[in-house]
Amino acid sequence: MIQTKNVCKPIRRHKIGFFGTCTFLLQVLLYVAPTASLEAQTPSDALMMPSKNICVLFAYDMGSFDRYWEGDYLRSNETIATVDRNTVLPMAAIGILDDLNFYIALPFIRTESSEPNGGKFTGARGFQDLGLAVKYRAIQETVVNGELTAFATASFSTPFTNYLSDYMPYSIGSGAPEFALRAISQYQWNNGFYIRGSIAHLWRGYTEAERDYYYADGSYYTAWMDVPNAWTYDGVVGKWLFDYSLKLEFSYTGLASTSGDDIRAYNAAQPTNRVKFDRIGFSAQYYFKSLKGLGVVAYHNRIIDGRNMAKLSNTGFGVTYQFNPFKKSIQVEENEQ
Amino acid sequence: MNNKIYTLLLAMGLTILASCEKDTPRYLPYEGYAFTELDENGGDWTPVLLDAGDAIDINAPDATDSQAYQDELDAAKTAMLGMTSEQRNAVKYWTNNPTVRWNEIALELIAKYNLIPGPNADGTYTLPNPANPEGPPAFPFAHPPYACRALAYMSVAQFDGLISAWHYKYQYNRAAPYQVDESIKYAYEENDIPSYPSDGAVIARASRNILTAMFPLEAEYLQNLEEEHLESLILSGGNVQSDITAGVTIGDAVSAMGLSRASNDGMKNAQTPKAVSDSIKQAALDRFGWAWDNLEIPERPVGLTPFFSKVTMWSIDDVESVRPIPPPALDSQEFLDDVEVLKDHARNMTDEKRRIANFWQDGLGTYTPPGHWNRIANEFIVEYRLNPLQTARTLAYMNMAIMDGGISCWDAKYYYHYPRPIQLIEGFETIAGTPNFPSYTSGHSVFSAAASEVLAYIFPEEASTVRAWAEEAAVSRVYGGIHWSFDATVGTDQGREVAQYTIDRARADGADN
Repeated sequence: MIQTKNVCKPIRRHKIGFFGTCTFLLQVLLYVAPTASLEAQTPSDALMMPSKNICVLFAYDMGSFDRYWEGDYLRSNETIATVDRNTVLPMAAIGILDDLNFYIALPFIRTESSEPNGGKFTGARGFQDLGLAVKYRAIQETVVNGELTAFATASFSTPFTNYLSDYMPYSIGSGAPEFALRAISQYQWNNGFYIRGSIAHLWRGYTEAERDYYYADGSYYTAWMDVPNAWTYDGVVGKWLFDYSLKLEFSYTGLASTSGDDIRAYNAAQPTNRVKFDRIGFSAQYYFKSLKGLGVVAYHNRIIDGRNMAKLSNTGFGVTYQFNPFKKSIQVEENEQ
Repeated sequence: MNNKIYTLLLAMGLTILASCEKDTPRYLPYEGYAFTELDENGGDWTPVLLDAGDAIDINAPDATDSQAYQDELDAAKTAMLGMTSEQRNAVKYWTNNPTVRWNEIALELIAKYNLIPGPNADGTYTLPNPANPEGPPAFPFAHPPYACRALAYMSVAQFDGLISAWHYKYQYNRAAPYQVDESIKYAYEENDIPSYPSDGAVIARASRNILTAMFPLEAEYLQNLEEEHLESLILSGGNVQSDITAGVTIGDAVSAMGLSRASNDGMKNAQTPKAVSDSIKQAALDRFGWAWDNLEIPERPVGLTPFFSKVTMWSIDDVESVRPIPPPALDSQEFLDDVEVLKDHARNMTDEKRRIANFWQDGLGTYTPPGHWNRIANEFIVEYRLNPLQTARTLAYMNMAIMDGGISCWDAKYYYHYPRPIQLIEGFETIAGTPNFPSYTSGHSVFSAAASEVLAYIFPEEASTVRAWAEEAAVSRVYGGIHWSFDATVGTDQGREVAQYTIDRARADGADN
């Protein structure tokens, strides 16, 4: 999972002070072999960009795993050895209104096994899924010692190329369209400390294999594979430091499919699998005061438990840049301090 | 105005939702149909293992006007009156040509058990053991040789059983319940085939017995299927209990005969010990100067079923009589050219080549290439509305030819012991999984060519179609990067030649007269 959080430029808001506005918490649709682990391409943080601002992100993510859960059995497999999964992720967020942001992303992914491996399979590469999302801020209230906010996001993603999803563990995505709705709530204290939680439901469609028979707890005489729907939820604790120029976050993310079959013994995963995982992560985001609009982000995530899921660890770095094409300088909201 | 907009939006939303739902069938979507022919003389056809259609003794049934028959009829009518919706669905599912259903059940079990055992923690491999079927690993590993053999025995038992059933059907000529009693509505298209012995019961029992022997862990599952099937025969209005009993008797007899052949056909020695495997490899090295290596990590000590070549064939006496020509030497221009062909496919993988490689891959966890051709046969059988006897005949000859093809292919594989592309091309990577046995000739090519020849014989209108599919299945392995071009082309010729022996036999069995 790529989980990129970044801050382009702080703004002053209410009594709390600065917020990074150019910020994504965009969980890239991920199909980690040998399992279908998919996560919503849903902005799930609690930050908004002001109207007419655009933020672009360019991130590089390095993921790998050398073990995976076959059902709930954690195993290694020298046929695939260590599988690397590297992603280039361009994204953009656009402030339509102060309370309504639009997101677009298109990852390019490359997978391959380490040498030596017993399978001699070729990896895969290509553009994965085009992701679109809108985030709406429904509640923003000053409360005792801080601020309470709540958001709703709706996202949609669909394969951008004809990559083969039925090529585990190297396939770059689930190959299915996905629609997700997410609810987010955050409480931030005046000292910059905050907690956040979100929950989302992911509706996944079908992916088309290049064979017209497959086994998933029984025969299926079709090329269409039903990619299971899922619930995903996360919890975050974070803190702003150095006058709101640095944000540190610890996160937990869980995902659980609502249906699907298990990977069979020493067999390849397939998009119909029931996936579950628990993942923890850390991220740091810094925006430069001297370079207007520029920010950097770094993060590390690892999956600590799962089912039909790769025990993936991933590390990423990104650069963000925020600008307002309608003004000469970036909009900074100056509210009372 | 607003209402209209809402209605429109709702309609659009529903359309989008509906278009998202895909039909994902679990079996061939056909229901009962009218047969194009009845084959009244089918009882005179030459069976495969039985001496003749009258070899199994079946007593004359009670006449339809006897009290005993009337009692059976009443019992059937009572059962039909109390049918549950589950029972109705079962009648619909099994149809009046249930051979296709049992074939699909076999394919499903093959896919379920087609899992290669993984290594143990210490790097050794444990083989599935019929004496301890639970394993791990579970018995069997339903790889292509195992699969084609299971399908052949099941189809042969079905075919012999139905010749026997047809013999007595037209000898005793007892009408079906729906013809005796007008109040009974037959669940399928009516026909004039006599109902004693029940052909459905022959199929149910023969299939269940063969599959239980081949997949011992599925005994209970198969028993439940058989019970549901036998019950549906009565609930369909097509049989009374004595029809079933006679059919089951035939099913038991033909399956026992098939399993007796199977127990002595050499399959139990096909997976050789390492010492034997090593000597086979050394012989090839001495003879040709090359040998195939397993490149898995950890290395598998023995390839898949080196002595499958020694399994008794159906229509050929001597497997060596159909052994193909040797593959090109490793320093020949033909070989060097083929290295370039494979590299070119890998470098320039197109959508079409990838699609073909995947469509015919039929690898681990699937119903295997023999299973794929059974699925194709099932679709033609329904499309051409074959009756149960013609259905069993088609599947029997096709699976005999496929199994003979497999045996011949395995003879070539271990005699020539030719290396795979990943062994001979430095740094070569594939989009298909390289199997655990030598390269020459391609199993897919031989299985597919053999199957397509029998289908071309049975369905002459489809001859060019099925032969083209077989060639596509053959070249799919080259696109997949796991076979040389000559593995595929020579394998196709080999499959066609081997199948001819079974087709010659089919032409002489009396059905074409």
